[in-house]
Amino acid sequence: MKPAAGARGGGGGGRARGRGARGRGAGRGRGRRRRAVAAASVEPHRHEGVFVYRGAEDALATRNLVPGQSVYGERRVTVGEGGARREYRTWDPFRSKLAAAILGGAERLHIRPRARVLYLGAASGATVSHVSDIVGPQGLVYAVEPSPRAGRELVGVARRRPNIVPVLEDARHPLRYRMLVGMVDVLVADVAQPDPARIAALNAHAFLRRGGHFLVSIRASAAAGAAAALAAELRLLRREDLRPQEQLTLEPYERHHAVVLGVYRA
Amino acid sequence: MLVLFETSVGYAIFKVLNEKKLQEVDSLWKEFETPEKANKIVKLKHFEKFQDTAEALAAFTALMEGKMNKQLKKVLKKIVKEAHEPLAVADAKLGGVIKEKLNLSCIHSPVVNELMRGIRSQMDGLIPGVEPREMSAMCLGLAHSLSRYRLKFSADKVDTMIVQAISLLDDLDKELNNYIMRCREWYGWHFPELGKIISDNLTYCKCLQKVGDRRNYASATLSELLPEEVEAEVKAAAEISMGTEVSEEDICNILHLCTQVIEISEYRTQLYEYLQNRMMAIAPNVTVMVGELVGARLIAHAGSLLNLAKHAASTVQILGAEKALFRALKSRRDTPKYGLIYHASLVGQTSPKNKGKISRMLAAKTALAIRYDAFGEDSSSAMGVENRAKLEARLRSLEDRGIRKISGSGKALARAEKYEHKSEVKTYDPSGDSTLPTCSKKRKIEEVDKEDEVIEKKAKKSKIKVKAEEEEENVLIVEEETPVKKKKKKDKKKHIKEEPLSEEEPCTSTAISTPEKKKKKKKKRDTED
Repeated sequence: MKPAAGARGGGGGGRARGRGARGRGAGRGRGRRRRAVAAASVEPHRHEGVFVYRGAEDALATRNLVPGQSVYGERRVTVGEGGARREYRTWDPFRSKLAAAILGGAERLHIRPRARVLYLGAASGATVSHVSDIVGPQGLVYAVEPSPRAGRELVGVARRRPNIVPVLEDARHPLRYRMLVGMVDVLVADVAQPDPARIAALNAHAFLRRGGHFLVSIRASAAAGAAAALAAELRLLRREDLRPQEQLTLEPYERHHAVVLGVYRA
Repeated sequence: MLVLFETSVGYAIFKVLNEKKLQEVDSLWKEFETPEKANKIVKLKHFEKFQDTAEALAAFTALMEGKMNKQLKKVLKKIVKEAHEPLAVADAKLGGVIKEKLNLSCIHSPVVNELMRGIRSQMDGLIPGVEPREMSAMCLGLAHSLSRYRLKFSADKVDTMIVQAISLLDDLDKELNNYIMRCREWYGWHFPELGKIISDNLTYCKCLQKVGDRRNYASATLSELLPEEVEAEVKAAAEISMGTEVSEEDICNILHLCTQVIEISEYRTQLYEYLQNRMMAIAPNVTVMVGELVGARLIAHAGSLLNLAKHAASTVQILGAEKALFRALKSRRDTPKYGLIYHASLVGQTSPKNKGKISRMLAAKTALAIRYDAFGEDSSSAMGVENRAKLEARLRSLEDRGIRKISGSGKALARAEKYEHKSEVKTYDPSGDSTLPTCSKKRKIEEVDKEDEVIEKKAKKSKIKVKAEEEEENVLIVEEETPVKKKKKKDKKKHIKEEPLSEEEPCTSTAISTPEKKKKKKKKRDTED
């Protein structure tokens, strides 16, 4: 069904973009009119390796490690003249919790160029691709994802980016993939499990270096026990020597989600 | 104490040089701060490198399950048994297995964990002879092969082959047809009668290839290619042929073309077999339901098996008839009942009246089969066979009239209507001509006049009837009206109201009255007609 599929695909894509646009606009105040496109520019964000694209709409962006390719259909922008032409990929905070955390005001993002990152819950690799962009060719991202469906996509992403090591194993048993993973500087845990803190702790003990940082996404689903659940997770983290330094909510991008950033064995 | 440390490049066995430091668990990390310090506390005793990715893969799988693979066993036997020292392992389960099988004492404790962390952080420095780049390359390679192993990546399941094969099949057919036509025409200059006698293309070419020049027909034997009478006919025609003479060179070229044709024909049959095999391997249920060719075409049309699986059953039904579909949707007519699925054997063997029904039923079950093949884990065709049997049963019941109704409770007998000849006069509907947006609703003057004429004629007819009635019996007008009315009612085409007609009959003609109703919507006008 070529025409129908095309229309549907276009509609789907347009819908996603519209959502993103509204989200970004909402972040800065509702009902804001689109700026006249004078000249699109990209400026560095406070966090190293992250950029802000200023065009008709503002967006978070990372420098594309593999220019000319979109990973999950995101928008690419090319800025600069002649030799300084650079391509950036916009980062959708509705799809990526990391982007939501940055826009939510994370103080220090320890994912920076040349860092080694262990990413638990890599899914199809959308966020992982941005992390790979940030850490650059000298950094490394170990992407752990147990689901074969998502893993298939992840392997596709990893094939194009040599700084991503796909690990299709369950993050609950870090010893199972100890052969593949070295010590890392940053641990990101975005697993859709009821015990993210425990999983993060297990992996931190195995692979996170002393003084390394972590970012754990905790879902407080049931409204009644939300605060208590969150508190329990935080207690667990502290017990395992994962000291929380920041905590922020991912509203308006995700509901009932909080992100805890901190340091390990400082 | 010895330490077993697994890396993507091989098994490393370290010896702890300074056991006293192990007592202080919390400050053990300090010993691994720099490569030099690290080398003071542990030393590489033995490094068993993996020869290739396959070995690494095997090692990893064993490690993951907490078992020992042969290589590890060998290494441990060799090194550790001699040393008579306990072995520190990262995985307690593995330690248990080693102890059981090799009777070596294994240690697993927080100290060991710290040790492992330290070694891991200084991995590059502690294993000389292995470059860090080699390590990372091996690691990446191993990760990718592992993930492929995990995803059970089998080359058999790639449906791109199907898409390409079916496209090639179509291309080949076109090319083959062109070449054959050319061959016939070319050789026809020399021996035109052969073309009329032998209708099958392949036989024609083979015949040509065998004989070549017309003069050789008398001596050649074509018994393997042709039956007796045809052969005789050919030979006779060769004697009295009208064609021109051709030189050796010309015949040579024609023969080249012939050879090409035959080769391509053979390849086409091969390709078809290949396609059948692939279809059976990739989508066995679909193959059972609609056949290889139709199945392959459906997959090719959608782009991939996965894409096809995402379509609704109604889409599968009309896949391939998009032009007709959208044309019908735009002009608000009946949409097509079948697309590519028309060529399935099940649809082919039904009577034209039931093709639509069967196409719908087949599409529904085929959609299920497609999804089963695309997402299912096992590749058996049991489900397809079952569904096909069901469909065939339903088909039989459809064909036999007087059998139970399919829908509903299934208990009522299917009603067969009495045959009445309904003459259908089909006129050409120009609304399907152009797919441009239809013009405004303003009706043209000619249209309005035409409609008026039609109504006038009908009104005149009824006027005459009414007049006739009235002339007969003036008194019994009211009673007469009803039989007239009844007559009118039987005549489905005429719904013109009787009363306003008879009332207005003396004073005004209906031709003027109906223009007043002109302003009503077109639909209402139709019902009045």
